[in-house]
Amino acid sequence: MKRTILALAGAVAVSGFAQAQSTVDFGTPLAGFADVGYQYSTNRSLAGDNGFNVGNLDFYLTPSFGDRVRTLAELVFEVAEDGSLATDLERLQIGYAFSDAATAWMGRFHTPYGYWNTAYHHGAQLQTSVSRPTFINFEDKGGILPAHAVGLWGTGAVRLGTGWVRYDAYLANGNDIQDGVLDFNQAGDDNGNTMVGGRLGYQFGEGKLRGLLLGIHGYREDVAARDDTGVQLSDTRVNMLGGYFHYEANDWEAIGEYYRFRNDDLTGGTGTHTSWAAFVQVGRLVADRWTPYFRWEKDSLDQTDPYFASMNSGRSYQSYVAGLRFDLNYKAALKAEAYQTDQTDLDVSYSGFRAQFAIRF
Amino acid sequence: MNPIPFLFLAGLAFAAPAWAADIYLITHPGLTLTPAQAKEVFLGEKQFAGDQRVVPLDNASAQSEFVRKTFGIDVDKYRTIWTKKSFRDGLNPPAVKADDEAVLATVRSTPGAIGYVTSKPSGVTVLQKY
Repeated sequence: MKRTILALAGAVAVSGFAQAQSTVDFGTPLAGFADVGYQYSTNRSLAGDNGFNVGNLDFYLTPSFGDRVRTLAELVFEVAEDGSLATDLERLQIGYAFSDAATAWMGRFHTPYGYWNTAYHHGAQLQTSVSRPTFINFEDKGGILPAHAVGLWGTGAVRLGTGWVRYDAYLANGNDIQDGVLDFNQAGDDNGNTMVGGRLGYQFGEGKLRGLLLGIHGYREDVAARDDTGVQLSDTRVNMLGGYFHYEANDWEAIGEYYRFRNDDLTGGTGTHTSWAAFVQVGRLVADRWTPYFRWEKDSLDQTDPYFASMNSGRSYQSYVAGLRFDLNYKAALKAEAYQTDQTDLDVSYSGFRAQFAIRF
Repeated sequence: MNPIPFLFLAGLAFAAPAWAADIYLITHPGLTLTPAQAKEVFLGEKQFAGDQRVVPLDNASAQSEFVRKTFGIDVDKYRTIWTKKSFRDGLNPPAVKADDEAVLATVRSTPGAIGYVTSKPSGVTVLQKY
């Protein structure tokens, strides 16, 4: 760990030196994000301990090798709930650009669904709010979807009219659920059932709809759930289909995502189960620096569906979040938000407050 | 004395730097792009012209004028666009050259290069004048 930190510190120093020389080619820049914060909740067992916290320290590199070979490597340091420092090779993807319309990547990448997961992920400074919607949070932090994938990913954009058709298609190792947490099997698929998914959207380029991205997304995979001793408890065919939008223009930003699950119980004989999840977040930039925002999020998860029943975070909830962001400059933001959450399956309600100081470099 | 003519002239004097600099969008002679495609290159939406990889170059001495005239945004917003593009798509932002001379030298010598300068150049293709 110390060697890794020293190597990264060296890389930062070299990068800084290269840029300080003059404004000439900077080779492969090292970029990243960092955030720290504070949280208070009326229910510590569900929302985590109160007090100040360290968020993420995220480094990423995008070296190119020739005209067509690209790489994206991202390393994240984060403090786990038990206080230990965790290191994660967040992304390691090597790709070949055939044209503007097609780039093929292989490796570990952010699963292309919705807008939020690929647009912000660990880049807290990029996202308007302090927090992610809970159900699309990372696998070990309350998410019910695989935020990461290891496999093949094809992506590109094609001009259509004044806008762009954007697409993603991927094959990845199928997930399993280990001791209540979704595991995206980065070392190899546990059951050989590949995850297949995609996203297709249209980004308007001109007119009244300029700044609007509208799309559909979906994936399919078989997910086995196992207990802490490795015994398989269930096997579920997960079928997700939904839609999303993102709008950013005229100082407004709005994001919405919808996920509909129609999951088949492959081993327990309980049949097909339908569930859904959605959120909408709206914010408006005021006086160049202030962005008040509001988010509604909700999921309604069938508790007889073995996929959600075996997941620690697979309980239905509804949450309201209201916050304010202040941009100190274009690289640093202070944010604060209050929230109210109703865990509808557990019949528990709680509220809380979060603050965050986020930067990018 | 009527102060209005004086104030008008003073206003012009202060405003002059904002519109005085011309921007010449230039390409390596072998590169074929339309001005609209060139804008896409500087926003990371286009990387190829046919089979030719496009090499965009920013000019530190004219960057703020260029992004204001071309996209109607400031440099901070332009850099934010590239941060998002880089983080999501693994693309590198345009290399930043110090001044016109450095941009011209690179555009002349690099197939696929596109950049911008503030004085009328020679030995390159002028795609558009802003």
